[in-house]
Amino acid sequence: MYIALGIVIGIFFIVVLIYNSLIGKKNRVKNVFGTIDVLLKKRYDLIPQLVATVKGYMRHERSLLQEITEARARAASGRLSDDEQVMLDNTVSKALNGIMVAVENYPDLKADKSFMHLQRTMTEVEEQISAARRAYNAAVEAFNNAVEMFPTNIIASMMNYKTKKFFEISDDQRQNVDAGDIFGR
Amino acid sequence: MKTLDELKQFYDTTLRADLQILEQQRRDIVRKVTIVIVVALVLGGFVFLLMMQNMGRMGPIVIFPVIVSLIIGGGICTLLSRGYVTDFKSLVIEKIVRLIDENLNYNPKGYIPKSTFMLSKIFTTKPNIYKGDDFVSGKIGATQIQFSELNAVYESGSGKNRHRTTVFRGIFFIGDFNKHFIGETIVLPDTAEKLFGRLGQKLQSLNVFRGELVKLEDPEFESHFVVYGSDQVEARYILSTSLMERITEFKKKTGKKIYLSFIGSMVFVAVSYSRNLFEPKLFTTLLDFEPIKQYYQDLQLIIGIVDDLNLNTRIWSKE
Repeated sequence: MYIALGIVIGIFFIVVLIYNSLIGKKNRVKNVFGTIDVLLKKRYDLIPQLVATVKGYMRHERSLLQEITEARARAASGRLSDDEQVMLDNTVSKALNGIMVAVENYPDLKADKSFMHLQRTMTEVEEQISAARRAYNAAVEAFNNAVEMFPTNIIASMMNYKTKKFFEISDDQRQNVDAGDIFGR
Repeated sequence: MKTLDELKQFYDTTLRADLQILEQQRRDIVRKVTIVIVVALVLGGFVFLLMMQNMGRMGPIVIFPVIVSLIIGGGICTLLSRGYVTDFKSLVIEKIVRLIDENLNYNPKGYIPKSTFMLSKIFTTKPNIYKGDDFVSGKIGATQIQFSELNAVYESGSGKNRHRTTVFRGIFFIGDFNKHFIGETIVLPDTAEKLFGRLGQKLQSLNVFRGELVKLEDPEFESHFVVYGSDQVEARYILSTSLMERITEFKKKTGKKIYLSFIGSMVFVAVSYSRNLFEPKLFTTLLDFEPIKQYYQDLQLIIGIVDDLNLNTRIWSKE
């Protein structure tokens, strides 16, 4: 009798532990995803400043600047689905990349003090974004392992937890993340 | 970095004259030391025989005078060579430091203070015996650095129960890190994971004295190190993929145990050594090129951390 009771209590505790660790892992993923959002927002906030700084110098890249300003306005408006958000982020990454490459044609701009500062801040944000994405992937890996491995998978399926997708970096983004190369360190 | 030929040339042109003077000094000391040892042995032996004759067999206590005279002799030898060591360091080691970089300063008796050592949070045990020497400081490019040799020991108990544990022995390096950060990230040699695999990883995550375990993507880096941090994202911002590679390379290059921490805009690097560095040898000639090469390589290895960890790359908002 007592033994049976002991076993039941033991199992109960294990279930509670697993349940809590699953919740913890899910929240970790959510938390890091939030960090990525914050950093992307930080990048959006830099755009008006960047556009204002380069506008005076860049004569042939009007459309690029237009594009990036619009993208920022759309992001600021909110009301975007996750997929739209990702698309928009990719557009911004690409446009930023284009601007940074175009800078090479304007030696005066490259030497501009406030631009140089902006450029450094941009590099920093890009690296922070990539760090947050790596942290996100690590959190997803821990979560997915728990969802798929025995015995946590039993509880996970009861809680209706599904594996989450990793952050995959598309080719043009891959170049963008390594901002240091563009700036010719 | 200088080539071997350049170093050889430096040795011939700049060091040789000083080394010859020091060599003379060294020979004098060796002569005196030999006399001291012989006298100590003779005196000790004499007292030993006397005790044997007068008191008969008294067991191990009769060895006592020999030991006492050897200790006194050893003390005299240290006193004799003290000036020589100081001269050697200011004449030779300082010049080698300057050869590597003109902007570096060398203080043979200085060392990294204990408070800074504890600030790094690499070692959790507070040493109660803390010594060091060979302090180097200055600026390499944009990066302010300082390092010294350290010997930190924790001693517990007294008398027969006295127990000594080495907290750290080797070179302790501090450099200005090139990125801004606010949290704490600590990189330690991995012992648990190497021995116990996945279970080891579980154990690491339970380490209550450290922050959160940070699991990184680079498998080679992960096999050498374990990382704890106060912020998962920041730890990855500091330990970029390229920095992980660089740290792994540095670890392989030195073949030593490496500890790192990133705290308060600084990077702390501890490289453990089992030998005493930058000390002159007393019983072998100084005029040999080999030991000079060794001093140079030891110094270059540490000063090279700036390049090895790419600390001079200032493309982030920190200048």
